Amino acid sequence: MIEGHQGSYDRIKSKTSLKEVLEVACSFEASARDFYRDLAPKVSKNIRWLAEDLAAEEQCHYDLLRGLADHPDIVEQIAVEVHTPANNTRFSDAIHLPDLGPRPDDQAVLQYAMGREHIAMEHYQSLAEGTEPGPIRDMFVYLANEETKHKAELEKLYYETVHSGGV
Amino acid sequence: MRPENYEAQSQPPSYDYELNIGPNHPGIEGNYAFKLRLNGDRVIAGRADAGYLHRGFEKLMEGRLWIQNLAITPRICVPDPVPMEVSYCLAVEDLCGLVVPERAQWLRVLQLELSRIAAHLFIFGGHAATTGMYTPMFWGIADRDLILDLFEEMTGGRVYHIYNIPGGVRRDLPDGFGERVTHTLDYLESRLPDYDNLLFTNQVFVQRARGCGPISQQQALEWGVTGPNLRATGLKFDVRRDDPYLVYDQLEFDIPTEEPGDAWARALVRRRELKESIRIIRQVVARLPELAGPIRCPIPNPLAWNVPAGSTYTRVESSKGELAWYVVSDGGERPYRTHVRGPSQMHAVQVLEQLAIGCRIEDVAQIMFSLDACPPEVDR
Amino acid sequence: MRDIDHQDRGGLLAPLKNLSFFARQPITEPLGPRPASANYRGFHLNDWDLCIGCSTCQKVCDNAAITMVRVPGLPEDPAKGIRNLRPAIDYGRCCWCALCVDLCPTGSIALSREYVHTCLDSELDSYFILPDARGIHGTPYPKGWAKSTDADLVALERQPMTEQAPADRIDNFSEIVAGYDANQALIEASRCVQCGMCHDACPTHMHAPEYIRAIWNGDPEGAVREIYRTNPFAHTCGRVCTHRCETACSVGHRGAPIAIRWLKRYAMDAVDHERVKQIAAEGRADFISGKRVAIVGAGPAGLTAAFDLVRQGHDVTVLEAQAQGGGMVRYGIPDYRMPADRLDRDLDVITSLGVKIRYNTRVGVDLTMERLQAEYDAVVLGVGLWMGRSTRVPGSDQAGVKRAVDLLRAVAAGESIEVPQSAVIIGGGNVAMDIARTLARLQQQRYGEVRIILTALEDLDHFLADADEIREAREEGVQILAARGPQEILLREGQVAGLRTWGVRSIFDQGGRFAPNYDPADEQIHPGDLVVEAIGQAADVALLGEALTEALQWHRGRLQVDGQGRTNLEWLWAAGDTVRGPDVVSAVADGHRVADSIHAYLSVQEHAP
Repeated sequence: MIEGHQGSYDRIKSKTSLKEVLEVACSFEASARDFYRDLAPKVSKNIRWLAEDLAAEEQCHYDLLRGLADHPDIVEQIAVEVHTPANNTRFSDAIHLPDLGPRPDDQAVLQYAMGREHIAMEHYQSLAEGTEPGPIRDMFVYLANEETKHKAELEKLYYETVHSGGV
Repeated sequence: MRPENYEAQSQPPSYDYELNIGPNHPGIEGNYAFKLRLNGDRVIAGRADAGYLHRGFEKLMEGRLWIQNLAITPRICVPDPVPMEVSYCLAVEDLCGLVVPERAQWLRVLQLELSRIAAHLFIFGGHAATTGMYTPMFWGIADRDLILDLFEEMTGGRVYHIYNIPGGVRRDLPDGFGERVTHTLDYLESRLPDYDNLLFTNQVFVQRARGCGPISQQQALEWGVTGPNLRATGLKFDVRRDDPYLVYDQLEFDIPTEEPGDAWARALVRRRELKESIRIIRQVVARLPELAGPIRCPIPNPLAWNVPAGSTYTRVESSKGELAWYVVSDGGERPYRTHVRGPSQMHAVQVLEQLAIGCRIEDVAQIMFSLDACPPEVDR
Repeated sequence: MRDIDHQDRGGLLAPLKNLSFFARQPITEPLGPRPASANYRGFHLNDWDLCIGCSTCQKVCDNAAITMVRVPGLPEDPAKGIRNLRPAIDYGRCCWCALCVDLCPTGSIALSREYVHTCLDSELDSYFILPDARGIHGTPYPKGWAKSTDADLVALERQPMTEQAPADRIDNFSEIVAGYDANQALIEASRCVQCGMCHDACPTHMHAPEYIRAIWNGDPEGAVREIYRTNPFAHTCGRVCTHRCETACSVGHRGAPIAIRWLKRYAMDAVDHERVKQIAAEGRADFISGKRVAIVGAGPAGLTAAFDLVRQGHDVTVLEAQAQGGGMVRYGIPDYRMPADRLDRDLDVITSLGVKIRYNTRVGVDLTMERLQAEYDAVVLGVGLWMGRSTRVPGSDQAGVKRAVDLLRAVAAGESIEVPQSAVIIGGGNVAMDIARTLARLQQQRYGEVRIILTALEDLDHFLADADEIREAREEGVQILAARGPQEILLREGQVAGLRTWGVRSIFDQGGRFAPNYDPADEQIHPGDLVVEAIGQAADVALLGEALTEALQWHRGRLQVDGQGRTNLEWLWAAGDTVRGPDVVSAVADGHRVADSIHAYLSVQEHAP
């Protein structure tokens, strides 16, 4: 199950209230978290920490969005984030969102995770462009920025793990 | 104090008595003791008692690295420390085959001659004081202080310069130093007529000094007398001329001599040497600006420096006489043995004892001071 | 001037000359202290920011006036050669000779122009001071005798090391570095001030001051003895070590650090090999413990542990997958840097003590970890980092794209490889340089021409390879392109044709973490028949098997071990690159720690009846 594909994109596009948008975003994060949780026992123990860390990260994102959805003054919260420009010129080694296969290694898991974040970010960005200026559009920009931040963190971890310097 | 000197001896009644001069006495140069046996005013016998200033330098140097000994060497002779430094460095340079750059050699001569002047000013005062004249002493110390000011600028220290290092010297001259040296020399030269009037032609002094403690040339050679004391007997011998070191063979200066080798002659030789030293320094100051180049040659890391095995004897002419170091290396990082050939060892012990016999008690101090016998150098 | 005539009795009016003294100024010294000269040797000043606590001043002081005092709170960094010690001076002993100033490696200590200190008997302690930049009384006096080029006694320049010229070395794998002759070694060794920073910085705390001193004393055997106290891979480390010692060297703060690595090389080469074996055997136990240890991997970590354990009386068997021992030292570092015959000597010393090595034996294939657990009392994993990472950019799974570690292993094993006429290397570390320069030589031999392009993410200031490697690679014709990120392997008719890269705008983010930022508008194509990836390495832990992998504890992808290299399983230790990252001398240090831990464990294994 890959969250970034067309079905879920359509699902969120149809929402009009901030709260509804956030609910759908929450469910995206929850399904991502569940994906990593299910992955953990399937990978070799030496890289299990990655799947567990990623699951925990997704849980944090879920909690953040959940908190926003339940908060009465989300409008003001979002407005602050909107002014942060999304910086999108980092790419890891050719993101192709690979099929993880039966026994992925740490590089494959990280590339997969970055791919997910990237696709999510792109979707939120295009949603923002296709929406009238207003709180919903601000919400999409905010979500796009969040995904960008997540991806940036993964980028760093990816480079530290894979490009270990060549000695 | 040697116990044997104080054993009670039963003697027939006599007019002889023992008088101990020193170790702290204005009539003694430095910390030194001289035990006199007198009959009335006349000295029958004298026994020099050295050792109060024994600091064990020769042994201390065996336990220190070659470089560390630089701090010990000047302390061997307080009034004229520079020949000690230079002579030790010449010894190490000889053993190591180090070639001292030309500029450094001229700087060493500058330092040596300034030190000679300072030492002579010091002893003028001392000698005068033993005849009861204290003003030249104050003059001598005050004028010497100007030279110490020059040393302070040149080396960073007034009395113990620690300026020489095997291979050369440690610092080059500050700007304008030549002018300040010239200024001081001019002043000293202008003071010489005052010294002459007050001291050297003053009959009070002349009549005390003439005939006091005479040494014949024969005796001088037998007793190992060197320096102004030897030249006062008429023999023209000076290490700077007869066994030149550094750049003395390029300098013009006279070697004053006098006769008949008494305290008066010795004082006069020193007075004339002071003038010659001023002459030498003027030549050095004129030459130095033309000499560029390093002030020392490279030496190994002082903490890892083995001096090749061998022994050497390097001598210089200090204000007191022939000053030399005999240094033996066994190829290690510390000297195997160092020995100071100090001029005062002969002068203060054997010569003094001989000269004291038959003189009057008031002349004993004058004899010692006129010999310019320096106890720190005797004892080390 | 007139002569001095003692018979001149003067005239009646002669005393009147003295009236002129009324007109003269008396000589009066002022009561207060006057300013001292510019070079004056007064009380000490010490700049605590420059001072590194090396204690050289203490060593040269001829009166033992200096005591080094630990000042808590000051920076302390053994890797940079900084100690939190500062010199304290006893002015009852100091003679103000300023040798401390002239020999100070950093130039931090100086003598000021202050020279007056008075105190009562009850304040005699005030003669013992810990000088800082404020001076003895806290009043600012300018520096007097301070560090100057005239008087500097520190030997700042290093003996140059002769290297083969590029034209002479490009078509062969002979060792580039010529080594010191006896005279050069003596002079270089004499520069050392014996501060011991090197010892503190070395991962295995080699007794470098001692072996440097032995070399200076003309005693290379003594040097070898000191070397073997901590390092049985001295021929190796004397050539390829990352020389933390030299980074920490006191003299290196202002001058060139002592060439501690080349001196080690000199000592090891200077002593006959049979004699080295005898020295290495000194002090070994004269009994057999009856305990058996298995070591997986005949690299520096495993064989250092083996060396220690066999000397302690244990039976040691090493299982090595390759045909020869040495690990990455043989199969990763080319001959021109690390001649195999010298590595063979290091290994021969170890095997001559009785360590058994079973070559061509791969654990996980020829025998399992479970069997090792059953047949041995302790097992050490020293399997290194033998899996080359791949960028996994599109096209990287083609036959014409290889990992540097695989190629280097093949060359070292004497296998023939297909030499590309042109090649592109991805990576900026020493391994990338190794493969670039190896291929350059093979190209020169085969085609008479070198065509190698090397691209790396880092900019030149941050290249991970040693500066010497980069310089030498350039001299050999390797074209180095910095700040380029690989995007795709280009193919033509199914064959590798080159690499497409984007420019890298920046490589570190604001937090300093490695996060390259690409510029898609800056695209270049680098042609090559072969693309070699030298971006990183990982440990091949498949040999453990699934059950053991589950039983072990891991930390962020690496085996978790305690400070002694022991895993959570009582019988299993791990050491070297696998747990610590790539570095030979760190692997040696690990080997020692593991051996100590195993020895302690085996020594208490006896059960009371």
